[in-house]
Amino acid sequence: MLLRNLRLTNFRQFKGDQPISFSTNPDRNVTIIMGENGSGKTTLAQAFTWCLYGDTDFEDKSMLSKAVAQNMLPNEEANVRVDLDLVHNGMEYTIIREQRYSKDSSGSLRRPSQTIFKITYKGSDGQREFVPDLETDLRMKEILPRELSKYFFFNGERIEKMSKEIRRGKSKEFAEAVKSLLGLSAFTAALDHLKSRSSSSVIRSYDNSYNAGSDARIAQYTKEIDDFDDEIEAITRRLAEIENEEAIAQDKCDELEEKISKFKDSEVLTKERERLRNKLNGLISSKASSTTALLRSFNKNAQQYFAKKMMKDALQRLSEADKLDKGIPDIHERTIKFLIDRGFCICGNKIVFNNEAYKELMKVLDYIPPQSLGSLIGQFVRDCELKSKGGSSLFEEVSEQYRVIRDFETDYAEVEKNIKLVEQRLVNMENVGELQKDLINYESRLKGLKTERDNLNKEHGSYENKKKYKVADRKELTLKDETNRKIEVYKAYAQYMYDVLFDDYTQKEAETRNQLQETVNGIFKHIYNGGLSLSLDENYNVNIIVNDFEGYNSDVETSTAQRISVIFAFIAGVIKMARDSQNDENEMLVSEPYPLVMDAPLSAFDKTRIQTVCDTLPKVAEQVIIFIKDTDGELAETYMGQQVGARYLFEKKNEFETYLVTR
Amino acid sequence: MFDKEYSFRGSHAAKVIKMTASFDQKNNKIFARNFDVYLFAPIVGFMYGRDAPLDRENNEKTDIFPDILIREKNDLMFNYRLIMLLDKEYEPDFDERINKAFRYYGSPKAQPDEERYDSYVRGGVDVLYEKIMEGAKNSDDYLKNLFDFMEEFDERYNSNVSTDSILNLCNLARS
Repeated sequence: MLLRNLRLTNFRQFKGDQPISFSTNPDRNVTIIMGENGSGKTTLAQAFTWCLYGDTDFEDKSMLSKAVAQNMLPNEEANVRVDLDLVHNGMEYTIIREQRYSKDSSGSLRRPSQTIFKITYKGSDGQREFVPDLETDLRMKEILPRELSKYFFFNGERIEKMSKEIRRGKSKEFAEAVKSLLGLSAFTAALDHLKSRSSSSVIRSYDNSYNAGSDARIAQYTKEIDDFDDEIEAITRRLAEIENEEAIAQDKCDELEEKISKFKDSEVLTKERERLRNKLNGLISSKASSTTALLRSFNKNAQQYFAKKMMKDALQRLSEADKLDKGIPDIHERTIKFLIDRGFCICGNKIVFNNEAYKELMKVLDYIPPQSLGSLIGQFVRDCELKSKGGSSLFEEVSEQYRVIRDFETDYAEVEKNIKLVEQRLVNMENVGELQKDLINYESRLKGLKTERDNLNKEHGSYENKKKYKVADRKELTLKDETNRKIEVYKAYAQYMYDVLFDDYTQKEAETRNQLQETVNGIFKHIYNGGLSLSLDENYNVNIIVNDFEGYNSDVETSTAQRISVIFAFIAGVIKMARDSQNDENEMLVSEPYPLVMDAPLSAFDKTRIQTVCDTLPKVAEQVIIFIKDTDGELAETYMGQQVGARYLFEKKNEFETYLVTR
Repeated sequence: MFDKEYSFRGSHAAKVIKMTASFDQKNNKIFARNFDVYLFAPIVGFMYGRDAPLDRENNEKTDIFPDILIREKNDLMFNYRLIMLLDKEYEPDFDERINKAFRYYGSPKAQPDEERYDSYVRGGVDVLYEKIMEGAKNSDDYLKNLFDFMEEFDERYNSNVSTDSILNLCNLARS
């Protein structure tokens, strides 16, 4: 697949029709499109994905140019469209995706319609023809399956995630896709034709053509064998799923463990913050209780306390004046008169005019009020005694409580400051408790998956065995019948052919994989000159191997550079292999050249590495299209100058409008 | 006196209402009740030499019910006697002051004395309001003013009056 032209119509900041042609000249196969940050590099890269698969990474899923949307009148319509011309398998295709936007009568944008997806191609007579609507998705899959597209439409900012995918946990589809890119699909198609689960495969169709008339059990056995096959297939599928789930859970565990060790301080800090917050609450409540206590003391004793000086002055005057005499406390002239009028005393003695009791009471009158003030003054002195004691410590109490209230301000500020300090340290730290909980969940998930896999493996074996016996039983029966014997012979031929082809395929596949490993390693060593090498397993997972003997420590380089190098090497390796296998004389290996479309690929590299990358890519890929910011772009152009066949510039008019101009 | 309802009136009523209002969310008040102002104010009025006429400028008034006055009559009488004994400006003759303090109370003769006492109550309300309430914007201000007021009073008068010296005088007065 080679990309020829891209036309954008009202796509995001690309207002109006904006065409761009990519260089397809084999000697000058690089197209460089430069632009400052925010000018539309990523948008252009996403235009490919949108056109081919109808999806983008944008958060705002509206593709319509904001500048166009602003100028639309109520009830007006506008189209967003991306056309991509490409050549695949010698055929000229145009891939078109279109979406209609409209405004309602109040002038707000309605939800856009579904996108319309079309593929046209130039027929043998030069006429342009449409791929039938129902087949477009299938055709797209043939041209470039989505799983692989991200390796060819490559976003420098998503590199971390991609490198993980490449290094581990790849699905079977990925391996299949790589194999097909490497030209092994003819093999796999032949193998599938001979023997697959599909009822139209050669061996299966023989299985179904046994003459059941000779023995009813043949049909029954065939049915049972089918059932076993179904079970086995279900188990195999589930096992593949388990493998994926395990990889994901394991990744999560690793990630969590890393975080937990990184954030282990957070637990201590969280406790400290809790303690300080409690202290803060303690301060608030002690201020409140001190306030209440202060006011209570004040209300209770203020009079006594403030009257102390007055008491002292009054007592001084009274003691100087000698106004105290021996009265009977609280007895008034009125009391005596009452007793005399009543005729008997408190003690019960009769009071009659001029008797003894009467005389005694009349004497008392001299010592009690109103004639004598002695007892009233005595009462007053006793009051002074009590009150001076009551108010004696008021000022000390109030001072103590007020100190708490006054210090609150500074104490509070101090604690608050400490909380802020702790919180600053806690910023960006995650709660370890939560992480631990997650980790436990994932670990038990892993354990569960392992148990499930062990059980499935056992079941798998038992079904295989049962199937084997049934196949043998059926064979015994079929050999008894002439027709069936013939089928058995044809089947044996087919199986033989399958085995031969499979051997051949296995060998080729291993060779191809080895070759790919070598190619990838060659490129990797060129880009990343450290003591690392790469190896590929049977699922095309990339493993990084440290070559200790070369004396390099893998930590010398930043891991990001390592990871990007792995990706580059892998993609470049696959593309180079795909391109080379085109020239292979063996007709069983057929493949396509592929372009490499890269968005901001160099930002993570230093100058030297940019040079090696720039040197390597145009040699391995048939076509290279790079979106790049000015500074990196100048470097890239210096290093790839000879190979650059087309140059464009993003001219940013404003936030909503960018124009593509030729340089 | 001290056995029937008492009312603060006019500006003094307004001040008492403010001094017995909550100043924070915890329902804290400088004075818990009108009675607490009434018990404390005459001492302050006398000590600061402040008296004030009855303010009839507006109809504002706030009351103290007789039950509490009767219940706390001893404390109120104590105030009355202190002031009567010490108010030299009002009555220069000590023996007559003693009569006012102990003998005349409750009789028609005491009418002007009770007026005098009430004017100290109102003067005290003015002093308390100036000292504690004025210029205060929040609860911290109220508490600060209250404490400053007490501190000032302590420095000015009470630092020289120990409880022991009062107790000694009590003994002396009885001997």
